[in-house]
Amino acid sequence: MTRTLEPDTSAPAPVKRPGRASALTYKHRLSRMDVKLSPYLYISPFFVLFGLVGLFPLVYTFVVSLNNWNLLSGPGEWVGFDNYSAELADPLFWNSLFNTMSIFLLSSIPQLVVATAIAAILDQNLRAKTFWRMSVLIPYVVTPVAVALIFSSMFSEQSGLVNHLLSFVGVDPIGWKTDVLPSHLAIAGMVNWRWTGYNALILLAAMQSVPRDIHESAALDGAGFVRRFFSITLPSIRPTMIFVIITATIGGLQIFTEPRLYDATSSTAGGAHRQFQTTVLYLWEMAFQRQNFGKASAVAFILFIIIVAFGLLNFLISQRIATTDSRSESKRAKRQLSRTLRNGAKEPRA
Amino acid sequence: MKFSQRTKVGAAVACVASFALLATGCSSAGTGGSSDGDNIELTITTFGSMGMSDLYAQYEKENPGITIKANNIDTGGNARTDAFTKIAAGSGLSDVTAVEEGWLGSIQEVSDQFVDLSDYGADKIKDRWVPWKLAQGTDKDGRIIAYGTDIGPEGLCYNSAAFAAAGLPTDRTEVAALLGGADATWDSYFALGEQYQKATGKAWFDQSGFIWNSMVNQMDEGYYTADGDLNVTDNADLKAAWTKLAAANAAGLSAAQTQWDWNKGASFTDGTFATFMCPGWMLGVVQGQVETAGGDATGATAGWDFADVFPGGATNWGGSFLTVPTQSKHPQEAADLAAWLTDADQQVAEFKAQGPFPSVTAAQTDPALAEATGVSAFFNDAPIADILTKRADGVKAQFKGPDDSTIQEQVFGPSAISLDQGVAGDKAWDDAMTLFDQLITNK
Repeated sequence: MTRTLEPDTSAPAPVKRPGRASALTYKHRLSRMDVKLSPYLYISPFFVLFGLVGLFPLVYTFVVSLNNWNLLSGPGEWVGFDNYSAELADPLFWNSLFNTMSIFLLSSIPQLVVATAIAAILDQNLRAKTFWRMSVLIPYVVTPVAVALIFSSMFSEQSGLVNHLLSFVGVDPIGWKTDVLPSHLAIAGMVNWRWTGYNALILLAAMQSVPRDIHESAALDGAGFVRRFFSITLPSIRPTMIFVIITATIGGLQIFTEPRLYDATSSTAGGAHRQFQTTVLYLWEMAFQRQNFGKASAVAFILFIIIVAFGLLNFLISQRIATTDSRSESKRAKRQLSRTLRNGAKEPRA
Repeated sequence: MKFSQRTKVGAAVACVASFALLATGCSSAGTGGSSDGDNIELTITTFGSMGMSDLYAQYEKENPGITIKANNIDTGGNARTDAFTKIAAGSGLSDVTAVEEGWLGSIQEVSDQFVDLSDYGADKIKDRWVPWKLAQGTDKDGRIIAYGTDIGPEGLCYNSAAFAAAGLPTDRTEVAALLGGADATWDSYFALGEQYQKATGKAWFDQSGFIWNSMVNQMDEGYYTADGDLNVTDNADLKAAWTKLAAANAAGLSAAQTQWDWNKGASFTDGTFATFMCPGWMLGVVQGQVETAGGDATGATAGWDFADVFPGGATNWGGSFLTVPTQSKHPQEAADLAAWLTDADQQVAEFKAQGPFPSVTAAQTDPALAEATGVSAFFNDAPIADILTKRADGVKAQFKGPDDSTIQEQVFGPSAISLDQGVAGDKAWDDAMTLFDQLITNK
């Protein structure tokens, strides 16, 4: 190839060359542009939209957070990072962060454990498979507002269903809306009720992509259900698990509707003494009740950084797990499979 | 924007000047040529039970060319969020926007976002309101930005069945006399409560928050001085009232109910508490709560009655206003509608529909007001209009600052609940002061 081109470059044809060459390069350029640019053009709508509704608000929020900005009267003076330092020193902000973390942990951990268990059960040969699979998704269809209203009524302190049932086993009424831990449990219950089935279905999809023959051969080797679950199923669905964990983290740290409507009559959003005021609720109240847009934006930005940090942490941990375990494991499985196949193929010959 | 407003102002002034000669056709003259003969659509946003929805059709009929598009938001709190968001956004506010007394202080901070109704005929009608209501709707530069709708003079709701069980009189004039009539004080109210509590073992009032609101509203100066300075730290009057309330809680007079929930209304039907703070607009709330709980909302057996007495004397709690934002494209027509809706006949109609008590003197004395309504039947046929008129006498306007509702709801609200739950008065007060520093002083 290079040789055939060489004489062309050394050829002394200055008159013809420019016209021909430019026509060629123009077409070339066009087609090259087409090849190089078109893909970007095709995906650009996403980035344009993201820039408009994602990036711009992000930057704008940051600018607002550097100002003393009242909701009604608008921007005041530039205060730099004063809003940030004020918020980081505010016990009410830390209270909201504690509540968020507490509700997040109380909801995410049981939710993932139960979702995995449900998925494992649904992965078995059940009768009326579709019926069971659809049923676990039903809570997800109900809007969070309705869920919050139902739970709020169930956990009503004076005449709620839960306290009523507890009275049968001799338990004193629990302050589901006044005490910190019970209220967190109730709100985490709402989140779990809504999201467990959804996550179970995603995990189920991942489980079904695990090759059946691995299960079968393991079963033939005498591995029981539990052993197969921990040694085959769990390692194989790891990437999906990571996806579920990251989305649960992002959702968990932004929880708003459930605590807002859990005690809707309270004059302070998230309980009279802010027992279950999450960070998003805190920033909403800061913006629209206390009318301090600057500080609310600062809280929003701090929350953004926290979520990014959590996402990175998740990513790094999962990356390590994925490289050390699932890759080597799948390699090992492949090697084993090919070895058995080879052996199996050899055997009849011998 | 500025120019067109000025021309409109000029047109309005000319309109007022020529009004003596041309009594008719003023409103159409004021709008200028742009909308003469055209159909104008006016938007109005109200909240809660203001009783206006039936009046719009009548206005449209009497004013050809005007179409009203109405929106009613369920609670005042949601209406506040709605209005604040739209003020912040700079668009979206209705031509006529209702504002509640509790957050009027915030609105006053941005009163330049609302038209001066004096430019649109307010001067001709400003004598119709009780003077303090007009004063509340006037900003610090003397611009009238809000027309008063209802006011909230407070009387005492009591449950006659509960009173009978404790051996107390049940007739409303006797109950009023028992508390000291015109000289009723919080001390006499709490003392009677202790007597009731000893006799029945039950609570006297539902929860501390409403008592506290009433006590503060009653003072000449509440959370702010008349000059607009914060007035909470080291305020001896507030502390004294708090101590009284704490003592009443220590005596077991509070039923520690969740306000606006009341065990889904059931506490109004099962005698959990015997008395209740009742501004005019609250009467419909009581009836609604009994209905929610499945009680007798027609009143024959509910046992609730309404007495012409209030501890500590005349006081006002709540009440609303109609404003016209500068965002409105038809300020003249919007102001005309607001003026009409707050006129005596309409305020009587609103009272009859849903019970908000008129802020216009001619409506308060209108004999039609005394006609029986569903609400008065519920309260054992109490002459509600008559009692509220008497309870409105002597009410003074208290200056409400920009953070008034935040102080009420987020500073003292949690501590009032603490009192209900048995926290000592001093501790609850100190907590409130800590919150005051966090939320208000160092905001």
